[in-house]
Amino acid sequence: MVQLASGRPVSHPLQSVVKALSWVTTVARLVLGVSLFVAGAIKIGAPAVSVQAVKAYQLLPDTMATVVGHGLPIVEIIVGILLVLGLLTRPSAVVGGVLMVAFIVGISSAWARGLRIDCGCFGGGGTVGADQDPGYIWELLRDAGYLLCAAWIIYRPPGRFAMDSALGLSGSRDPDTAGDEDDEDGSDTD
Amino acid sequence: MPAEQPRGACVSKRAREASARARAAAQREAIRRQEQRKRTTMLTTVGVIVLIAGAVTWWSVRQSASEQITGPLAPIAMQPDGTIVMAKPGVTSPVVDVYEDYQCPACKQLELTSGSTLKNLAAEGKAKVVYHLLTIFKQEPTMSNSLRASSAARCVTDGAQWLAFHDRLYQEQPTETSAGYAVDDLIRWGRDAGVTAPDFETCVRGQKNVAAHQQYSTQVIATRKLAGTPTVMLNGQSLGTTAFVPSALREAVLDAAR
Repeated sequence: MVQLASGRPVSHPLQSVVKALSWVTTVARLVLGVSLFVAGAIKIGAPAVSVQAVKAYQLLPDTMATVVGHGLPIVEIIVGILLVLGLLTRPSAVVGGVLMVAFIVGISSAWARGLRIDCGCFGGGGTVGADQDPGYIWELLRDAGYLLCAAWIIYRPPGRFAMDSALGLSGSRDPDTAGDEDDEDGSDTD
Repeated sequence: MPAEQPRGACVSKRAREASARARAAAQREAIRRQEQRKRTTMLTTVGVIVLIAGAVTWWSVRQSASEQITGPLAPIAMQPDGTIVMAKPGVTSPVVDVYEDYQCPACKQLELTSGSTLKNLAAEGKAKVVYHLLTIFKQEPTMSNSLRASSAARCVTDGAQWLAFHDRLYQEQPTETSAGYAVDDLIRWGRDAGVTAPDFETCVRGQKNVAAHQQYSTQVIATRKLAGTPTVMLNGQSLGTTAFVPSALREAVLDAAR
């Protein structure tokens, strides 16, 4: 009580910073989540195309490429939805981040080996025609941006409008974000 | 009495301490319950997600499963322009045009995924399938690989043998960074496909059909405005990625046949 009484006025400006930062998390969740969802939704209807896109990187043996080609769209869709909902936010962001690292490694390696492939990121995939530009640098920059979003979400989950907060799945682990949950304030003041 | 005052204060202090202890215990209990609730919610959420993921995987694998070839193939005939028609006698529509390149990995994927569906549809008399072999590559070694294979395939004059050779070429597809489809291999695969014609070997070795193939290829890419290979067209309309989903491909063709 004493802490809070003296802490209140001091924490006010801090509180608003924390609040603003948790909005940043929400935006990061939406950017990463919607992108993953769209990428997966485009691919899921035709897994053979996505298998082909994975094979085009020539990094995995054919059986693995088949598994990844089928599984990747499903993982993308589920993680995308979870991030948008803010459900299991931190683990979802970890998976999203791992995917981005894998994509960055794959694209860089394709670039280094001089392969001319369409990344297959948003559907399509396979070989790029001789006169088309694979545009690897833009793909890498884009994925680096998504990776940054994932890192931020892992650092400060779950942000505003998160089901984790509504279900009470967040809080105790992270004192920063727990502060803006109203039941914490309510129980301490009486 | 002055004693009353400190005693009263003492009691109230003890009471305060007791109530503080009780509050602390209640708080601990509340936290314990909250943790338990949190664990239950977490497990339920993970369980639901796993169930959904399983259902989606099942659906995805099922709708994209390749067909088995069910019976004898429809007659296959070479056309003067180098295209190959696979259709039951009298079946003229719907027309399924397959634009492909032996060297193109996505074409191999199409063949692996939907090749059997096309063969079945033709055998069922539901479609006239037309294969157009092209060379989309402009760099080496892919361009020469493609040209050698395509030229060799044109040396096969029997339809059934051609299809067997066609399928073999995809099986043996070289990577896009290595020279493949060596002449000696092509001749051997032709023999395996049942080619007995005496001039097959000289035809393959001399790459006699390269010019005709290249001319056809260039002309088709230009006039059909192909974005790439493989392109599968149903009555002149590109099917896009539907061609890679056997169940959807079958449905589209059957719809067009109605």
